[in-house]
Amino acid sequence: MDRREFLALAGAVAGRATPLAGRTPIVDCHAHAGTSPGLKEPWTTVADPAAILRRAAEAGIDRTIIFPINHDTFEEANREIAAICRRYPGKFIGYAKHDPVNEKGRIRDLLTCEVRELGLRGLKLHVHPGPEVLDVVAELGIPIIYHPGRVAQFDAIARDYPTVDLILAHLGSDLSTNWREHVAAIEMAQRYSNVYLDTGAVVLTRYIEQAVRELGPGKIIFGSDEPEVDCRLEIYKVRVLGLPAEQESLILGGNMLRLLAKFKGGAA
Amino acid sequence: MIVDCHALAGKGLAWAGPEAPADYELAPLLERGAQAGIGRHCVMPARQAGSYDTANREIARHVERHPDRLTGFAAHSPQREAGRLRQLLTEEVRSMGLGAVRSDGHPTRELLDTAAELRIPVIYYPARPSGQGPARWYYMIAEAYPGVNFILPHLGEYRSLVWWAHMEAIDLAKRYPNVYLDTSGVGSLKYLELAVRDLPAEKLLFGTCAPELDPRIERQAVRLLKLPREAEDKVLGGNILRLIGSR
Repeated sequence: MDRREFLALAGAVAGRATPLAGRTPIVDCHAHAGTSPGLKEPWTTVADPAAILRRAAEAGIDRTIIFPINHDTFEEANREIAAICRRYPGKFIGYAKHDPVNEKGRIRDLLTCEVRELGLRGLKLHVHPGPEVLDVVAELGIPIIYHPGRVAQFDAIARDYPTVDLILAHLGSDLSTNWREHVAAIEMAQRYSNVYLDTGAVVLTRYIEQAVRELGPGKIIFGSDEPEVDCRLEIYKVRVLGLPAEQESLILGGNMLRLLAKFKGGAA
Repeated sequence: MIVDCHALAGKGLAWAGPEAPADYELAPLLERGAQAGIGRHCVMPARQAGSYDTANREIARHVERHPDRLTGFAAHSPQREAGRLRQLLTEEVRSMGLGAVRSDGHPTRELLDTAAELRIPVIYYPARPSGQGPARWYYMIAEAYPGVNFILPHLGEYRSLVWWAHMEAIDLAKRYPNVYLDTSGVGSLKYLELAVRDLPAEKLLFGTCAPELDPRIERQAVRLLKLPREAEDKVLGGNILRLIGSR
């Protein structure tokens, strides 16, 4: 995506013909959509995009980044994400999701197709990626949003792939399960210029405050983890910080749009 | 007036464990609580390793200094303080004005008999193996002590780590007239929405778990439930005031 395309995106996101007319669009960088056959947990059952959009509209979110809920392999689920994006034009940005273990050997071809032909613009991971994934991501110029088992798993990939933008989900710890992981995530983002933190599903919000204080607003990206976590409350966790408008708009959308503008994978 | 039924004050052990000593200072609680429009916080001691005797006295001193903003709740370990609990709690309620007791550990007959005599609610968040809900820890006590009102914090699961624990908590509150749920520290708002849908407003109590959590965010969570005015008044203060009487 070149600068012209990026501005067009920004304009579309804002719902205006003139892009960025006085306001940076608000982007939720972390939501799940689609269906899964698991039927055992909420995240292996269904994530309804229409419900996400209703809450996003109430929260003032212009565009939501969506990727699949849990599956063993993701080819079909990624097609569903692309279909949802087409069904709600201008509302969603789709990312692919892959399992680097279960889908080993197929990811380069799948992801290239999903980006170039289906129009997906990033990659969500739960499982640690190897060179097969990271090399193709670097070529395509798309960001990775990764929810690792441990924050320390970020270290090697951030060091070895400095041109790949890595968003560490949940400020390092989903639902603040382990506060030490929040601290480790802040340190990771301090250490590497290509590591960013998303704010989604952080319950101990003092660590969002600490992250903004120690890293500055340029490294923090608003996300919600919809539909398990409500974007209306998650955006309030950023707004309640009371930051100057320029800093808040970086967190709420500017940073994410800057990363998306690095896209070099070719048009869909 | 908005009343927060679940706040913390004083020195103790942080939730993270003994390696992280905590001092829950009043200033951030009162400042952010005021920003959230909360008129009164019910404060209870932070977790202690031994007896709660000293911590409860500290709570009473806080309340003396801020009588217009704070109501004090006691806490006790029924196991570590066995044999002394009736005397301690009776004094804390009758002489020091504390209005409820948090049970740090499974409630014993000593604690529940005393709570029944004093007509105070018991706050109990069962410590349990990972992945389990609160139901089996509540069935016997709620059944055996129908005259004691129990408050189960965090809608049954702090931070929503185990989603079905919220479902168990809602079912408990449906089954037992004497079980109430507090709204604090629920990570996934949809379970609060479920609770509002499935339970009468009388069964939900607004809490913040401040200053561990931000009372402004906890208040916003209840605002997003879009309760009718009368129901919201109950959740935001009416219910806890009814449970603790005139304190």
